[in-house]
Amino acid sequence: MMRIKRFAVMLLALTLVAVACGDDDGGNGGGGTLDAVRDRGTLLCGVNSVLPGFGIVDEAGNFDGFDVEFCGVIAAGVLGDANAVEYVPLGVEDRLTALQAGEIDVLIRNTTWTATRDGQEGLTFVFTTFHDGQGVMVPAATGFTTLEDLADANVCTLPGTTTELNLTSVFNARGIPFNPVVLGDSSEIRSAYEAGQCEVWTSDRSQLAAFKLAIESEGGAEQLILDDVISKEPLGPVVRDGDSEWAQAVQWSVMATIAAWEFGIDSTNIGGFTTDDPNPAIARFVGGADPSLGLSTDFAVQIISQVGNYEEIYNRHVAPLGLPLEGSVNDLWTNGGLMYVPPYL
Amino acid sequence: MGGRRSAGRPSGFLANNDDVTQSSTDQKAQRHSDVVWYRNVRVLRLVGQAVAVAAVVGLVWWMFNNLVNSLDRLNINTDFSFLSRPTDFQIPFDEGFDPGSSVWKMVLVGVKNTLLAGVFGIVLASVLGLLIGIARLSSNWLVARIATVYVETLRNIPPLVVILFFGFAVFTFGPFPVLRDADQLSIFGNTALILSNTVWGIPSLIAGESTGLFWTAVLVGVISAAVVARWRTRLGERTGKPHHRVAFALGALLLVTVAGLLIAGDVYSVSWPELSPNGRRILGGFKLNFGFISVAVALGLYTASHIAEIVRGSILAVPKGQSEAANSLALSSFERYRHVVLPQALRIAVPPIISQYLNLVKNTSLGVAVSYAEITLLTRSSIGNGRPAPQSIAVLMGVYLVFSLTISFLLNIYNRRIQLVER
Repeated sequence: MMRIKRFAVMLLALTLVAVACGDDDGGNGGGGTLDAVRDRGTLLCGVNSVLPGFGIVDEAGNFDGFDVEFCGVIAAGVLGDANAVEYVPLGVEDRLTALQAGEIDVLIRNTTWTATRDGQEGLTFVFTTFHDGQGVMVPAATGFTTLEDLADANVCTLPGTTTELNLTSVFNARGIPFNPVVLGDSSEIRSAYEAGQCEVWTSDRSQLAAFKLAIESEGGAEQLILDDVISKEPLGPVVRDGDSEWAQAVQWSVMATIAAWEFGIDSTNIGGFTTDDPNPAIARFVGGADPSLGLSTDFAVQIISQVGNYEEIYNRHVAPLGLPLEGSVNDLWTNGGLMYVPPYL
Repeated sequence: MGGRRSAGRPSGFLANNDDVTQSSTDQKAQRHSDVVWYRNVRVLRLVGQAVAVAAVVGLVWWMFNNLVNSLDRLNINTDFSFLSRPTDFQIPFDEGFDPGSSVWKMVLVGVKNTLLAGVFGIVLASVLGLLIGIARLSSNWLVARIATVYVETLRNIPPLVVILFFGFAVFTFGPFPVLRDADQLSIFGNTALILSNTVWGIPSLIAGESTGLFWTAVLVGVISAAVVARWRTRLGERTGKPHHRVAFALGALLLVTVAGLLIAGDVYSVSWPELSPNGRRILGGFKLNFGFISVAVALGLYTASHIAEIVRGSILAVPKGQSEAANSLALSSFERYRHVVLPQALRIAVPPIISQYLNLVKNTSLGVAVSYAEITLLTRSSIGNGRPAPQSIAVLMGVYLVFSLTISFLLNIYNRRIQLVER
């Protein structure tokens, strides 16, 4: 009798546990990422680890690059400490899933903003930190200059990327037959490309520039990036759908780097700007007002003093690849570029 | 065997035994009707089983529900309609594939490529494994040592590393030139072989108008071969003379096939591989890409090392007296293996070899490392290009499940056929 009772009690307890688990909303997807990050004290940031200039692990084992610095920007804005970031290196195919599953808080891994990803994949792109476009690179010795020259060529690309889709649609539309060679990561592609297993390497032009520099500086053959830009590739941070508080925190942290650039504020002179600044916009920007974005009032000061403005970040990582900021699409709108942020009112 | 033995028991003993069981059951039943249901062992057992089933079903249902709810919350759809939408990307080394065709067709291409690598790998692994397994037992010191080194090397390297070795050491950094400077081998004025670091071209057959008629003739040939073989076997059993059934059957098959070939006329023509004028593609023939060669050969060699060990173990498991008996009959070494040792070793070897075959087919998923367009690579591409991951993975799992179940089903039938029939 006692044993039966004990059994029944245990069964009941198990059922209750199961029901409790079933009702649990998980907390990650349904909102509250901002609080979760603050409670944890670190930002889980999904990044690339093999792309020079954007996200790469240096000799000392530290993550470095343009995208990586924006993780620091968000951490500085949200937590007040640009170093409070836990970097999660992700591959091409698992990056979106990792974000959907809540393994990371934000994905900054040269990911292109597309309708499908924004909609069907349940993600939200908050800003474009880098306006890129897909290009093709060939060894200069081949003498190829136009896309039509590439007929029947083996084209190296990464699997599951917009690059793969653009390649197919553009080449098919122009009636250029080609054969894709799909390899797991950029370093494998580089080996195959240098061995001549593929005559053409297609990717975002910023990546091609990075690898062109790497190949040529390491004694490889001279490379040529064709003039054709076959797609628009707006790259920027991504968060999960359904958490606008977090999306805004990320968005305004990132935009602060561009606002500061426009104000002429950088990490070296930020100390000279106070809430008494004669320019009311700057005064508000450095903490004279609280627009209730869920961030501390001095978040912009933290970002600029700890990481720097957009121009500084760009010049540290992207300009050395041979892609100057001045006059490019990523220049400020006042200089004819596309970088434009809402006013800090 | 058990039935025979019990039938041989004295009937008195049997009856006696039965009585005892009968009376004890009666007593138990008596006791069972006395106790309350929750102390009744039979009832408790039933309840226990029911609870276990309910718990498993409940857990699975809960997990499924959890998945669907979570995906719903994340605004990710959970239906399979994506299968009929266009694939949108080109499949590596598949000129015939139209990116506009549905994801279903992409899945089929992946299945075809997985099967191709699997079948080639299985054939290679079986032949090589058998030879090396026998070689390990050879009395020739050198042969046995070479076989041991082969087995111990390949068996202790992960299959992915073997595949990458092939991909990199043989192709990317290997001896083969790029396609436009490819090595070409000619026979009879035709290019018979093109070797490069991306694609190899070999001659292939192109079906002609009367191919159907020819294959009908082959079918007739197979049937007549079976009939002839049966006739020779019966004759051999009746007269005790050597039946030579294999020679007779092959003769019959050859006769009918050649007759069919002559009657049908235009059956097959040879398509020779040829380098395109711009040197970037092979026209005609059959094209083997480096991914396929890497996966199929690497997995064939790798699995052969495992099969060799199974073969060796199975041969050693055949009682020594069998070999000695064969020797005392003055059978040659080949005859001893062919007629005495191998048939008995095969019975022991088949079940573990089945699992090696299954492993090989599943290991083709490592082709993702060398741009081989098997089902896993295509699924990964497809997921990265916006197809829903849970459903795509479900399809992928379904494909491998069907492969594995089919292989084990077929080989289990074979296994049952060759096992000792106990009379």
